[in-house]
Amino acid sequence: MNIHLKLNGKDTDLVVIQDESLLTALRRAGIWSVKHGCETGECGACSVLMDGKLVPTCVMLAPQADGHEIETVEGMSEINTIHPIQKAFTEMGAVQCGYCTPAMVLATKALINKEMYPTLEDARDALSSTICRCTGYVKPVEAIMRAAAMLRGEEVPPIDGGGIPMEIAFGLTGESDLGRDLPDFLKGDSGSDLKTKKDVKFAPWVTPESQTDVVGHPEIKVDAVKLAKGKPAFTDDINLPGMLYAEMLTSPHGHARIRNIDTSKAKALQGVHAVLTYKDIPRVIYASGGQSWPNPKPWDQVSLDNKVRFVGDRVAVVAAETPEIARAAVKLIDVDYEVLPVVLDPREAGKPGAPVIHDEPDAVGIPDASRNLVNVVDAVWNDVDKVFAECDRVFENTYYTPKQQQAHIEPHITITYWDEDERLVVRTSTQVPFHARRMLAPLIGLPVKRIRVIKPRIGGGFGGKQEMLIEDLAAHLTLATNRPVRLEYTREQEFTSSRSRHPMYVTFKVGVMNDGTIRALDMSVISDTGAYGSHSLTVASVSGLRGLSTYKADALRFHADIYYTNKAPAGAFRGYGAPQGMFGLEVIIDEIAHSLGFDPLEFRRKNAVNVGDHIPISTALGEGGTIEQYVLSCGLQECFDEAAKSIQWERRNDPKWRVDPERPHIRRGLGVATCMHGTAIPGLDMGGASIKMNDDGSFNVQVGATDLGTGSDTVIAQIIAETLGCRLEDIIIYSSDTDMTPFDVGAYASSTTFISGGSAKKAAEIVRKQIIERAAKILKTTTEGMYLRNRQAYAADGRSVSLEAVALNSLHTVDQQQIMGTASFMSNYAPPPFGAQFVEVEVDTETGMVRVPRMVMAVDCGTAINPMTASGQIEGGQLQALGMAISEGMEYDTEGNVLQKRFGDYRIYEADEAPDITAILVPTYEPSGPYGAKAVAEIPMDGVGPAVSNAIFDAIGVRLRELPVLPEKVWKGIQEK
Amino acid sequence: MKPAPFDYYAPTSVEEALDKLTELGYSGKVLAGGQSLIPAMNFRMARPTALVDLNKVKELSYIKPTADGGLAIGTMTRDSVVEDDILVNERFPILVNTIKHIAHKQIRNRGTFGGAIAHADPAAQLPAAILLLDANLKVLSKSGERWVKATDFFIGPFMTVLEPEEMLAEVVLPPMAPRTGASYQQVSRQKGGYAQAAVISTVTLDGSDRVKEARVALFSVGESALLASKPNQVLAGQVPTAEAIEEVAAYVAKNECDPGTDIHGTEEYRRNLVHVLVRRALIDAVQQAKK
Ligand SMILES: Cc1cc2nc3c(=O)[nH]c(=O)nc-3n(C[C@H](O)[C@H](O)[C@H](O)COP(=O)(O)OP(=O)(O)OC[C@H]3O[C@@H](n4cnc5c(N)ncnc54)[C@H](O)[C@@H]3O)c2cc1C
Ligand code: FES
Ligand code: FES
Repeated sequence: MNIHLKLNGKDTDLVVIQDESLLTALRRAGIWSVKHGCETGECGACSVLMDGKLVPTCVMLAPQADGHEIETVEGMSEINTIHPIQKAFTEMGAVQCGYCTPAMVLATKALINKEMYPTLEDARDALSSTICRCTGYVKPVEAIMRAAAMLRGEEVPPIDGGGIPMEIAFGLTGESDLGRDLPDFLKGDSGSDLKTKKDVKFAPWVTPESQTDVVGHPEIKVDAVKLAKGKPAFTDDINLPGMLYAEMLTSPHGHARIRNIDTSKAKALQGVHAVLTYKDIPRVIYASGGQSWPNPKPWDQVSLDNKVRFVGDRVAVVAAETPEIARAAVKLIDVDYEVLPVVLDPREAGKPGAPVIHDEPDAVGIPDASRNLVNVVDAVWNDVDKVFAECDRVFENTYYTPKQQQAHIEPHITITYWDEDERLVVRTSTQVPFHARRMLAPLIGLPVKRIRVIKPRIGGGFGGKQEMLIEDLAAHLTLATNRPVRLEYTREQEFTSSRSRHPMYVTFKVGVMNDGTIRALDMSVISDTGAYGSHSLTVASVSGLRGLSTYKADALRFHADIYYTNKAPAGAFRGYGAPQGMFGLEVIIDEIAHSLGFDPLEFRRKNAVNVGDHIPISTALGEGGTIEQYVLSCGLQECFDEAAKSIQWERRNDPKWRVDPERPHIRRGLGVATCMHGTAIPGLDMGGASIKMNDDGSFNVQVGATDLGTGSDTVIAQIIAETLGCRLEDIIIYSSDTDMTPFDVGAYASSTTFISGGSAKKAAEIVRKQIIERAAKILKTTTEGMYLRNRQAYAADGRSVSLEAVALNSLHTVDQQQIMGTASFMSNYAPPPFGAQFVEVEVDTETGMVRVPRMVMAVDCGTAINPMTASGQIEGGQLQALGMAISEGMEYDTEGNVLQKRFGDYRIYEADEAPDITAILVPTYEPSGPYGAKAVAEIPMDGVGPAVSNAIFDAIGVRLRELPVLPEKVWKGIQEK
Repeated sequence: MKPAPFDYYAPTSVEEALDKLTELGYSGKVLAGGQSLIPAMNFRMARPTALVDLNKVKELSYIKPTADGGLAIGTMTRDSVVEDDILVNERFPILVNTIKHIAHKQIRNRGTFGGAIAHADPAAQLPAAILLLDANLKVLSKSGERWVKATDFFIGPFMTVLEPEEMLAEVVLPPMAPRTGASYQQVSRQKGGYAQAAVISTVTLDGSDRVKEARVALFSVGESALLASKPNQVLAGQVPTAEAIEEVAAYVAKNECDPGTDIHGTEEYRRNLVHVLVRRALIDAVQQAKK
């Protein structure tokens, strides 16, 4: 049918199907800014303005738009122009993955149209219907306030400041320090005492006062503008002629053998092009976790199997002309299941009589499939039992962390097609394009060279896309039909058939002396990997690595048993085992401090590691080999100082603050947790970058690094711009396309700034050398003392030549040469970032409700290459962590059905209920990282859970050793007290 | 995402709509704001074969004062319009407060006042609000109109006395008595999410601060919204002391609600919530009445 509407100011006739949503109709009409994140009106990504009011389009029928005015962000700006609201969002760092940004921009517009002077509360309220999984809403709220000021015609402060001292960035002589032999630093030649070397001759542009031009500045993200304008940047934002829609048939049973499948009725349905089951494709064993070759074992999956192991497991996949036909076809598939008993609790899975989940003979590397034992990890350092015997006190307790879902707003989506060279193109929302290409090849029987994986912008990943989750199915369908195929998860499938955080029972035993010295730590873990072992070994190892690195001790021991259960598989999730380990550690540390009569903060300060300390557990546990790890930079004590000041830690001792006379049922408390993470996997993670210079002195950069919204493209571009003395806008960065860019392991293990940034810096140094040589020739001088700055190459005598002139000379005039460089970077060091997490709680003693008014985290991430994106990571990470602490946890019924299948039931913080979140950056200089940088992306996941539990104890004296702290558990705790 | 196929009609008058509903009988379904019906269809929990969309029936969207000081609200009036309306703010501030707890503005921009009532979700605010406010509902069908008291309207979860060929057309709210205070109390995990337990109450005081009438409506704690009778039995004619209110709250929690155990909490816990919330609501309403 035909509808008539005013679309972005233009009278428009649209042909729509009467039973399709307005969302579908708008996207078909090329309005790509309207996004899909659910099908229930709960995420807000699909919002538009209808007659000036914000409304969701996924729960509106297309014909209902007839006669109305519809506005989307496409209507707000033209090429080369930007609306003040969009501008404010880019300037304030409010755009991370950008998937929710168009909706937030429209929400802002609706608000400001009504209220020119919005309050912070108005701003939060306006954003409350748009779930953002990235930002923690801090910067979007700031963007609204800035946009309102701009639209009122007020002067707004420029966004700048920052920079780091040149002498630190470039060394006194202008020499880069990346890749220097690190053990020398340990011998005292560390970056931090450069200042004392008075006798060193300064490089011409390095003075004690001068600051870097690009690194350390809050530059606008290189992709922010296109995302704020709603440009077609994501996987789904293309239209391919002849594209088929795929739909999965998933298991309704938690555990069953497929006796037979009959697909004849489905195949007979008009418009169906392929129906694939285990009978149709070769059986190739693999592991879906996106990790380096050879993938850690077990290899326990096949693309389609004759057994299903959880509700939501793959049974068959269909490709059809429309999504509706595909869905109808799925219903016509007859499956004869032999239903088997399920086991859902990892503590039961190893017991005699438990159903055996992996009884297939061809799985590789399962230590004891008959007991559902996926992996066992052991590590010791020194004689733990001997040290325990010497301790004054030994504490022991068990802690549980839940199955949290990544819940990126953009679902998993893959589009596959043959290109003109008959190579398979896989356009996919992945964090690991290179791993995906390598892992996909054997499954579909194509060599790596015939596969191209393209990663467009990603609408959030958080580890959920560090997985080859659906690419194989789409590819199989393209192989079967020779047509483009699109496969996207629904939100429900994200809950039933995707990955999640490994739930863990973590038992800590800690030996201490009465003077408060920690002597021995023993950690044992029962991890629940669900039906497949994806990431199970490495996640458990990281839990131990993080649980046993933070505090000094004389002896350490780690043991983990990882079990299969009939639940959706766990996988990678931001923090990767660390939040699980750190929850137990930081709560037991709190318990010990209280028990020994120490202030919990002082107890932490006393025992935490510091610069120069050895991290013995990393050699015993590390994925990447046997290189000894040391702390080369550490601002932890300063983090404690800053964050304690900000949260006003001393309020704990003020009885008037703790009980509010107006609301006597409310108790207040404060909690603290130490955070320490890793940066990349030492000796394993690698990234590459290549740079070429253009005629105008700009640079094309290709990196394998996978920006999933975190801003890594920007940070890499900043590192290159600084090194090449140009502006950020002179860098044109293209990331993650296996045909175009160098290899990179992908976006995980907090590695991108450090590893990919390291490769970018090395490549830029190669280019810099070539530029300087060319410039020296042009200026008829030597390269000695020559440097690049302000788009110029300066000679020691002060004369200069522009980068453009260098480029033109090099490309066109004499000794023609393409100035370019390629480099890769791998590090044997995984320098830990540190953090101090503080949380304030209000507990309603009658209902058990816990409200968190405020969270503060101070982080030492070395140099924050971009303080705006770094603080964005810390804010958003804290809110994600608060979800795990307070409300997020997937629960199952006795048959293995997950109870939360939509956002309404799976509770993610929204803007109007999110706490006031503060991120503080404590600068240090990490000698092994580019411009002194360490990681920042994962550490904010580590401290909130334990700090919440500790704060609740502070408020009401009830110790909660299980997350999330649902109000009923708190209430029961109060009852039992 | 596209729901299962269905026929779609968009009448522009009440008459046309009623004709269509009569013609379709059990296979027809009214589509109002769609904020409950379409998610249910997308989630494949509802599969109507024909929809009668009332969005183009302009005559169903209004807020009119009634002569006695109450209000008449047309079924298709959007929640956000009711929320922002000056008359509603003047005469029924508790209704405004209640509506603000429904989802988020974005949903309230689409969801309709009558739709939420006809939907009869036991966890929804408006059914409880109209019980509390003792509303009268105008129900239309081709054969004429009938009036149903709010207390007679709901018969179970998502079930009302409406016949398939009928539509809810108007909700009439009688005026609030002078010296009436009101309070909205809920416990929910999310500000805009469904409540684990919630209470709305009004207390009317006489000149000597004795209770003339105490009304307590509950939702999310039973098969439909509930009106508790004990509060008025105990408190009417009395000075509302803390002890009396506590007695009422304990009684209501034990005897006048029926919360089951679900993913949002166990029965024991939710009865505790009712106890706490009824107490808080009554204390607050008394205070408001005294202002
Ligand atoms: C994300 C989200 C969060 C929400 N949160 C809440 C919440 O916290 N509290 C809450 O109360 N609600 C909530 N809702 C539901 C929302 O308030 C709905 O709008 C409302 O419940 C139904 O109103 P509607 O106009 O959208 O009705 P529709 O969805 O169009 O219809 C609902 C049902 O009522 C019937 N119906 C509607 N109008 C009539 C009529 N005039 N005559 C006869 N039958 C009729 C329909 O046939 C249908 O069966 C939420 C919805 C969403 C999408
Ligand atoms: S609210 Fe429409 S896609 Fe989620
Ligand atoms: S920026 Fe909001 S979801 Fe990613």
